[in-house]
Amino acid sequence: MIRFEKATMAYPGTGRPALDQVTVDIEKGEFVFLVGTSGSGKSTALRLVLREIRPTSGRVYVAGKEINRLAAWKVPRLRRQIGTVFQDFRLLPNKTVSENVAFALEVIGKSRSEIRTTVPETLELVGLEGKGDRMPDELSGGEQQRVAVARAFVNRPMILIADEPTGNLDPSTSVGIMKLLDRINRTGTTVVMATHDHGIVDQMRKRVVELEDGHVVRDQAQGVYGFQH
Amino acid sequence: MRYVFSNLGQGLRRNLSMHIAVVLTLFVSLTLVGLGLLLNQQADKAAQQWGSQLQITVWLCKADDDNPTCTGEVTDAQKDAIAEVVEENPEVADHHFESKEEAFEKIKELLGPEKFDGPNPAATADDMPESLWITLEDPDEYEGITSAVIGLAGVSDIRDARETLEPIYDSISALQLGALGTAVFLVLAALLLVGNTIRLAAFARRREIGIMRLVGASTIYITMPFLLEAVVTALVSVALAGGALAAFVYFGVEERLADNLGFIPWVGWPEYLNALGLVAIVGPVLTLLPTLLLTRKYLKV
Repeated sequence: MIRFEKATMAYPGTGRPALDQVTVDIEKGEFVFLVGTSGSGKSTALRLVLREIRPTSGRVYVAGKEINRLAAWKVPRLRRQIGTVFQDFRLLPNKTVSENVAFALEVIGKSRSEIRTTVPETLELVGLEGKGDRMPDELSGGEQQRVAVARAFVNRPMILIADEPTGNLDPSTSVGIMKLLDRINRTGTTVVMATHDHGIVDQMRKRVVELEDGHVVRDQAQGVYGFQH
Repeated sequence: MRYVFSNLGQGLRRNLSMHIAVVLTLFVSLTLVGLGLLLNQQADKAAQQWGSQLQITVWLCKADDDNPTCTGEVTDAQKDAIAEVVEENPEVADHHFESKEEAFEKIKELLGPEKFDGPNPAATADDMPESLWITLEDPDEYEGITSAVIGLAGVSDIRDARETLEPIYDSISALQLGALGTAVFLVLAALLLVGNTIRLAAFARRREIGIMRLVGASTIYITMPFLLEAVVTALVSVALAGGALAAFVYFGVEERLADNLGFIPWVGWPEYLNALGLVAIVGPVLTLLPTLLLTRKYLKV
């Protein structure tokens, strides 16, 4: 589903590449934690998957497409197969919960009837039934992140990318979000989550890929965060 | 599409002062551009009637000519002799004779045909002199041909177009230069304003745009609201400029100049339509072009 082949990404004007000869293969339906300190290259890896940037050398395949060769006008189609969740939720403050979720479908031209059935379904899936008419600022942080997950998942993407989704949440709320991501993963969606959160990684016992200074220093099935090597 | 249109209204309202600034600047610059074209057509029209600055007109003798050296109507032999002199002169680029009928048609067109119809016309074709229109190679080199022609038999008078036309043409081209020169600055200001408006709008909507990109909205979908806003501001400006130009043609030319200065053929509605056409093309180009360029820059997908 996602494959890095000796992918190197050097931002112009910086000496050391953010990712250096990274090779990782993520199968369909996997749940993978991407761990490492700030500046280790986690965000760069996620941005490559989204094709916000292109590798300076090596190859990155996403959903069978080599992103380096993907024409610019095909990028939106690739992104429709990827849902994304961020630490800071990125909800639209002037839209209700339902409208926020529906927005993701409207802007890719889905029909009104499809939106009317899919949005409540998805809100129910993330545990927000009955809160569709609330505004984001009336919700708790955990609930706002659920809205963001609903928006990312409403188009039933093949891949869900989560960049520190629990970074702004307290531990007990984080557990709820992790359960939700786990549930989404069980529907067959590949989940890649970048995180700093030791507790969560240790608890989930999923595959862990650790980056350090742009290199993969560990790739372990059912890993924990604090592995000493 | 629903989203696009609801956003259009929202975008226009959110950035209202900016849009008004664009519309006003564009309105004034388009009006000046249209005015420039009207003046250009005015110069052409005057040239058709009076000849251009490169031309001198040789009036030939008519039956009861005011010039005592004329012994009567110019003869064909005299005309041939004059033509020969003109053809041999190196200062002459081109020449043609104008018959009494042609002169009559011109004066009819200028003063209105109603004065020349009916039982008691102001003049008939026979009252008109024949003339020879000489186009010079260089408008400053006219003495040679004037002195060569003036003494010939059958020549009544020579009108050097420059004497009568220069002040008229000078003021027309000064006005034209003023209109177009001011328009250039205003167009520049309009372009910068359009650019600023897009930057502000892109900034105000950066969250939405970020999400749209993330969930895979197409580029055209993301830029559509910006393009529509550009079209709306352009259309409003074109409509205002069209109105101002119409007012100029109606109140300025038709009601005032054409009545008081009837001896010059003035621009009218056909010329107005030309100017409106130009304005209707230039307006949207001025807003759409920077929009297309800048949305690429600010909304990188």
